Amino acid sequence: MAQQRISTRRRSIMLAAAATGAAALTQPLSVLAQGAEDIVIGGSIPMTGVFAFAGVGINAGIQDYVKIVNDAGGIKGRKVKYVPEDTGYKVDVSVAAFKKITSQNKVNLYYGDSTGFAKTINPELDRNGNILMAGASFATELNDPKKYPHQFLVGPDYTEMFGILLKHIAREKPGAKVAFVYSDSEFGRDPIDSSEALAKKLGLSVPVKIMTPAGSVDVSTEVIKLRRAAPDYTIFHGYILAPIPEFITQGKQQGMTSKWMGTFWTMDSSTVMKMGPDGDGFMGVMPYRYYYDTDKAPMLEKIRAMRPEYQSTAYTQGFLAAMLFLEAAKRTLEANKPLTGDNMKAALNSIKDFDTGGLIGVPITISGNSIPVGRVYRADMKAQKMVAASDWIKL
Amino acid sequence: MRIGTFKESYAADAALFDSRTQHVWLGIAAALLVAFPFIASDYWLYLACLIAINVASSTGLNILTGYTGLVSLGQAAFMGLGAYTVAILQARWGTPLLLNLLAGGFVAMLGGMVVGIPSLRVKGLYLAIVTIAASFIAHFLFANFSITGGTAGLSMQPGQIFGAVLDTSFRLYWLIVPTAVLMLLGAANLFRTRIGRAFIAIRDRDISAEVLGIPLLQYKLLSFGLSSFYAGVAGGLWAYFFRVVTPESFPLSLSIFFLAAIIVGGMGSILGGVLGAVFMTLVPEMLKLIVDLLPGGTDLTVFLSPVRLVIFGALIIGFLVFEPLGLAEMWRRTRRFFHLWPFRN
Repeated sequence: MAQQRISTRRRSIMLAAAATGAAALTQPLSVLAQGAEDIVIGGSIPMTGVFAFAGVGINAGIQDYVKIVNDAGGIKGRKVKYVPEDTGYKVDVSVAAFKKITSQNKVNLYYGDSTGFAKTINPELDRNGNILMAGASFATELNDPKKYPHQFLVGPDYTEMFGILLKHIAREKPGAKVAFVYSDSEFGRDPIDSSEALAKKLGLSVPVKIMTPAGSVDVSTEVIKLRRAAPDYTIFHGYILAPIPEFITQGKQQGMTSKWMGTFWTMDSSTVMKMGPDGDGFMGVMPYRYYYDTDKAPMLEKIRAMRPEYQSTAYTQGFLAAMLFLEAAKRTLEANKPLTGDNMKAALNSIKDFDTGGLIGVPITISGNSIPVGRVYRADMKAQKMVAASDWIKL
Repeated sequence: MRIGTFKESYAADAALFDSRTQHVWLGIAAALLVAFPFIASDYWLYLACLIAINVASSTGLNILTGYTGLVSLGQAAFMGLGAYTVAILQARWGTPLLLNLLAGGFVAMLGGMVVGIPSLRVKGLYLAIVTIAASFIAHFLFANFSITGGTAGLSMQPGQIFGAVLDTSFRLYWLIVPTAVLMLLGAANLFRTRIGRAFIAIRDRDISAEVLGIPLLQYKLLSFGLSSFYAGVAGGLWAYFFRVVTPESFPLSLSIFFLAAIIVGGMGSILGGVLGAVFMTLVPEMLKLIVDLLPGGTDLTVFLSPVRLVIFGALIIGFLVFEPLGLAEMWRRTRRFFHLWPFRN
């Protein structure tokens, strides 16, 4: 009898567990109350892994802009909800995060963390039809409205970044010799061939292109190769920091007079300052104003009031992504159209001479998938700041 | 041992599933697998497919490492070979899906056999280094040839089978999970054959195996080949699942993931490979869900994300300290408890 009671109890416990499991599968955990009217921004954010330094900033940037909008009453009375997930900068984890967030929320906008993810999830975006996506990638491949109709880049693509630098060089020193040093990765190789063609078009020459492993340390043979080519400018791409300082230090020791340059992910103020005294004068392209820029930037003032400590350019990138997301959503709602991927992309492309509150120094226009504008900044190690070395350059 | 099982023939003794209870449970498991897509959300379906792919690949590695005793850190590279073969065939010639998967398996098998050649001469750490070298060579091949799309990789259209376009997790489930189950059954049956027993003999003492008349090179290569075939098919499924294959899709860390899966699950046990793959895929996700349930919003997510990795690492270490034979041994102990209950085991 006792045994029967135990087995009945065990059976009911198992049944209850099975029912709970089935419920969890159909309605995954954290089914948090969500107003039907919420505008939802999902995010695959790399809060751990090699890009954690960027992910933490991006997350804070999106979070802050969403807070500003919600404090001001939302968008046409609708609150904005931000749902991030950590991805560790891995494509499969990022896709899992996308599936999880989209199955728990009616997502309108999505922030992706890598080129691999942007490419992988693109068919899903097309199938879903209700999501507009941007992200941390500036891959040239994504700057194609036909192939990626529901995505955009929060700045110039990597080829356009090179274009801005080369335009600046052609103005500063016509006929200059420009070396390209890039990492052996998709990220590194992205703009190289097209930029070499552009350099020739601008009357510049590319005497040497050097490819190294992404995190290489011993670059002495490459430096010798570089010194032999004696470039006036050297553009690094596809790295965050290493091996750039090693190149500069060894190059200077060997009497090189080249000016050294980088692209977006190298150009955060805190990253450049790690180069030490040899990094003085290091230049590069930056589509946004730095946190400490005071020139006509009311939005930066707002950010500084919210966060008194230095915020990275990744923060600004996340902040601007949220701003453009919600501008697209606002324009769509104002036109009384449903928030579909097509409608929001069309609304985004209607942005002409838009004032970002000084995050970008000139009014922006988004006609395709990118914002082809940027400025050349130079490191001032004494002041521990990046200072403008050119005006804003539009392509 | 289960009480009351009585075998009357050698065939019954060697049967894969030997009791009625086992048949009932397998029936229930099969029914659950069939019912799962109809009750699960997109996220859980995605995870189920990913688990099935990982199960297929770790089962392959288990054949090589767990059963034959040959260490390999090249499983991800062989998966890559399979994935690229499938992507190239699908994107360039649009050949049928099942043919592509088989081709992916065979190309990986060839790659595995080439890498396996040194296995007659070297063992242990030396062999591990050979297989790591294979990873780097594979990465170089993927990144530097136009047929593989260079560093940008290859994008492909969704696969089709009997006219159905496999573009959602729901549809892919019906391809991926049955394939993984078939591969599991194949592996389980392998160790009831002469070949499987030869593998085990080589693992236990290769010199004795040779004395017994097992040609070592032939069987070691066969083991490498079979293991890589599994990886190749898993890679092919991966390609159909994600539809983008790049050189960075199959890093060395993925090979370590599979090795960790079979160690945590239990080496030399089919169930171990399955449990290990499930554990390694699901636990990080479960930890995420737990973090999500805590109050504190996104600030807490930022703070707890690195902590989550530490907990995951600690869990693996904990398992190995307290149960070096892996999850499969825990499962066996649990089963024994129920077989003998209410008596002490």
